[in-house]
Amino acid sequence: MTIAIILVVAALGTLIVILTFTVSQGLQSSGRTGPATEIRPMDVAAFRNLVDPAEDDYLRRRLPASDFRLVRRERLRAMAAYVQSAKRNAEVLVRIAQNSTLAADAQTAEAARRLEDHAHLLQRNCMFAIVKIYIALAWPNSSLAAAPVLQGYEELNHSAMLLGRLQNPAATMRI
Amino acid sequence: MLQAHSYLWHYLWVAPNLYLLVLAYWMWRRGRRRNYPVFFTFAIVASLGQLILYAADIIPWVSADAFWTVLWCGLLVEALVKFVLIGELFEHIFGPYKSLVKFGKILIRGVGAVLVFIAALVAAFSPVSNPHIIVSGPHLLEQTIYLIESGLLLAIFVLAAYFRLSSDRTSLGICLGLAISACVHLATWAVAANNSSKEVSVLLDLLHMGAYHVSVLIWSYYLLVPEKAPKKHRDPSTGPSAGPSAGSPHEEDLDVWNRELERLVH
Repeated sequence: MTIAIILVVAALGTLIVILTFTVSQGLQSSGRTGPATEIRPMDVAAFRNLVDPAEDDYLRRRLPASDFRLVRRERLRAMAAYVQSAKRNAEVLVRIAQNSTLAADAQTAEAARRLEDHAHLLQRNCMFAIVKIYIALAWPNSSLAAAPVLQGYEELNHSAMLLGRLQNPAATMRI
Repeated sequence: MLQAHSYLWHYLWVAPNLYLLVLAYWMWRRGRRRNYPVFFTFAIVASLGQLILYAADIIPWVSADAFWTVLWCGLLVEALVKFVLIGELFEHIFGPYKSLVKFGKILIRGVGAVLVFIAALVAAFSPVSNPHIIVSGPHLLEQTIYLIESGLLLAIFVLAAYFRLSSDRTSLGICLGLAISACVHLATWAVAANNSSKEVSVLLDLLHMGAYHVSVLIWSYYLLVPEKAPKKHRDPSTGPSAGPSAGSPHEEDLDVWNRELERLVH
């Protein structure tokens, strides 16, 4: 009977998740509003500093082991917040790109597709990075590679800039 | 009404399969079978399989052994086609996204392997509903198939939601129909395996036949009702926030977008 109860609960849970997704997908496509305002600013230089292995090595050499673990955990928490922020920005850019793939101009549509591709890549990297960060929180002495997130974020910026320029060539943009 | 061989019981067994055959015919006439060849095959295989099984149930000279053999064969063929169909749907949903296809395939294969393991464990510990293996076997097999199927569909939906994929409407509809059918079947088989009352068995049969009917209606809706064509932006300077439903371009939106991009860089 226990197995039956587990299966019934699992089946109902699955059905609820799938129906929720279907309804939210329908709402998403019917009511898309200006997502550009949802982008949160990110200090890329500070993030680069956080993921720099040389910084970690420096702290490891300079601090006693217990202090290093404390500092490292703080840095990892900050890193997780940055990665979450990057993931949210990528989600917003996916929506921007999806709106722009319908543009009549082929070049703009192509730039939008490239932006969407980069944003998905960043979302994927963020997913891995979050898992790695939480593992590292439990084991602070491990080396951690969050660099793909940084690299992906920079590629995403370039793609977003390109799309912005194609959509509004008159606007001055700093890349 | 809520009994075996009542009008409702006959209707729920026959009608959805006839609708599905009509849907397959319509797909063939409109050339939509080229977009969804496996779903087209599934519609024919599943509906014919069920109609043959129905005939085997009501024709008096068909023996019980023959009925259960037909059920076994139909189940195995349908399961094979269903898993190929899930692969087709995966291709439709993830195929347009080059950066996700490889990752998605690895993840789905991993999820599939874990689900097969879990389903085997659940089957090993499930109670046997009938001393004859030819009767209890299909129940266990169906439970195993539905468990793997609903797990794979859940993985596809969760991945699509996580990456906010704008999956095409028809694939989503086919996935939804499959998921409803698989989840309800899984739950009803789990209860049926632990129940010896005939009345409850008939009610569960009606419930899963009803769920299948709903699935067929969902497939019909998503395949027959055309999607609203998205408006193309006439002006290349249309802002990023101007979605398909957003009408004319707004200069202010563009300024906001550019400002936000500058903030994003620094």
